[in-house]
Amino acid sequence: MTTVSIQSLVKRYGQSTAVNGISLDIEHGEFISLLGPSGCGKTTTLKCLAGFEAVDGGRILFDGRDVAQLPPEQRDIGMVFQNYALFPHMTVAGNLAFGLEMRGKPKAEIAERVRAVLDLVQLAGLGARYPRELSGGQQQRVALARALVIEPKILLLDEPLANLDATLRDEMRTFIRDLQKRVGISTLYVTHDQAEAMTMSDRVVVMFGGQIAQAAAPEVVYDRPASAAVARFVGQANVVKGVIANGAQGQRLIESPLGRLPMPQQLGLASGTLVSVIARPQAIALTAAAPGTPLAGTVAARYFHGAFIDYRVAVGDQMLNVQAAPPALHNPGDAVALGFDPARLWAVEAA
Amino acid sequence: MTAHTMRSPSRPLLLVAPAAVLIGVFLILPYLNIVVMSLREPATTTPYGSGFSTAGYAKFFADFYYAGALLQTLWIGLLSTLVCFVLGFPLALQIVRASSRWRGLLYGIVLSPLLVGIVVRSYGWTILLGNNGVINRALLDFGVVQTPVPLMYNTFGIVVALSHVFLPFMVLPIMGALQAIDPALEDAARSLGASPRRVFRRVVLPLALPGIQSGAILVFVLAVSAYVTPVLIGGMRIKTMAVIVVETLIDQFQWPLGSALALILSATATLVVVLFMRLTRIRWK
Repeated sequence: MTTVSIQSLVKRYGQSTAVNGISLDIEHGEFISLLGPSGCGKTTTLKCLAGFEAVDGGRILFDGRDVAQLPPEQRDIGMVFQNYALFPHMTVAGNLAFGLEMRGKPKAEIAERVRAVLDLVQLAGLGARYPRELSGGQQQRVALARALVIEPKILLLDEPLANLDATLRDEMRTFIRDLQKRVGISTLYVTHDQAEAMTMSDRVVVMFGGQIAQAAAPEVVYDRPASAAVARFVGQANVVKGVIANGAQGQRLIESPLGRLPMPQQLGLASGTLVSVIARPQAIALTAAAPGTPLAGTVAARYFHGAFIDYRVAVGDQMLNVQAAPPALHNPGDAVALGFDPARLWAVEAA
Repeated sequence: MTAHTMRSPSRPLLLVAPAAVLIGVFLILPYLNIVVMSLREPATTTPYGSGFSTAGYAKFFADFYYAGALLQTLWIGLLSTLVCFVLGFPLALQIVRASSRWRGLLYGIVLSPLLVGIVVRSYGWTILLGNNGVINRALLDFGVVQTPVPLMYNTFGIVVALSHVFLPFMVLPIMGALQAIDPALEDAARSLGASPRRVFRRVVLPLALPGIQSGAILVFVLAVSAYVTPVLIGGMRIKTMAVIVVETLIDQFQWPLGSALALILSATATLVVVLFMRLTRIRWK
């Protein structure tokens, strides 16, 4: 049972600060994704945790013990690399045995555990192959098995699916998540792919500029993003500036360049507050425009995705993304009325 | 398939033709000529007689002088290879891991022995290693020794001079192999619990093996076939096969025997190389 605690971690490269005082607790068995654009410090955080980078400040606790000064080989971590980093001069079994040999396990135990982990990743019988004789997906599973067979305190994955094609990536996503649940190991997963982070994680940690922008369950990050930047990075978002106002009947609403928007069901924002309204494409409903419609726009483009239809709707000089279920009812050029679902609207104080 | 993407099957053959002709005319034909020459009859007034005989080969096996020289030559080749490896591997490792600013300079230093003509370089070594040379003078003047230490006209001197010039041939292939090692492999090994020393032994060294293999073969064949350096450093005292071959051909004018000796040297060196490759066979490539 391992819990990991990162406290005020700082890592600098010369003048630039790659990781700027982040703190994060990983519960036992929790699957956490570090999500962010390249250069946000997610990979650096992972390398600090693994011990490949010396930290410039803060603590890294494994079960309460500070490991920040330990070399990687003494941290008891399992790591999966983006390019797999399988040892080309060793067979699959040799790769899997390596970590156990380093731990001085007896030969019989090594053979048994290698066999068991090959079963676990559904590669039984491939132990004698060399890595170059395996497909990308198989190499990926060997890399995963090699990290797991040593029963590490924490599993670290550095964009492990980036080199796989789309179909295999979806398959491996489920595979890794299922395996992680079965083994019950605390896992930190670095990715720039928001879909990957959302589907796999217990918690998503969105990072920008070396700091944590938001750390929460995937649905919270999606429905109640901490900032407009988070909303834009995680899924699509229409972001509209506005100000909170009081309506004629005393109800609160948001004045925006689009018109009056309903107040999201959220507390803590006083009248007069400048906000960014975040409307997911699914939060807006389109109907045929009737005379006197308060929120009206024009369909600028329509894209058919199969499962849904993607509209671009021009409202004044704003362009909104709207997703609707088929069939396609509106054509480019049509005047439409926009309905905002207050339950799915969200607003954050404008930065 | 469109006509545009079609290729005449003779195209690649045409491309290698010039090289093939070059090798055929200047390498294979002369080699065949040497084989024929080694089977010619020895003669006294001309380089070779009109008939054919195996007298050249018979002489090699009859006179231990030649077999001894062959063993001596192989020994020198082996020692030079070992010295180059022991000096060259750490050097290659350092150059590969050096910052790019230093790498160019180190690279130049490694290649520098090749920039000096072979006679000049060997003569330089005689100035250093001779009985009256820089090293012995210093040792005598400081009273470290009473009589000059024999540094030249022996295996030691030849190995030193050969290792000096052939070091780049060991360093460059090893550098190539080391550079090809994905740095993530070392991280992976560390994450699996290997100390830096074990990472080196279990990951870096085995992955550098192809480079070590090429370097060792290059240095060995160059060292056993070297002529100028052994003749200048070894003098009359110690003769390698190459020196004896040249003597036999040029001074003694015995072309059949000289050719036979040259072929025996080539065959033996080839045999050693093949055995070495067998012993260090790389299964994972």
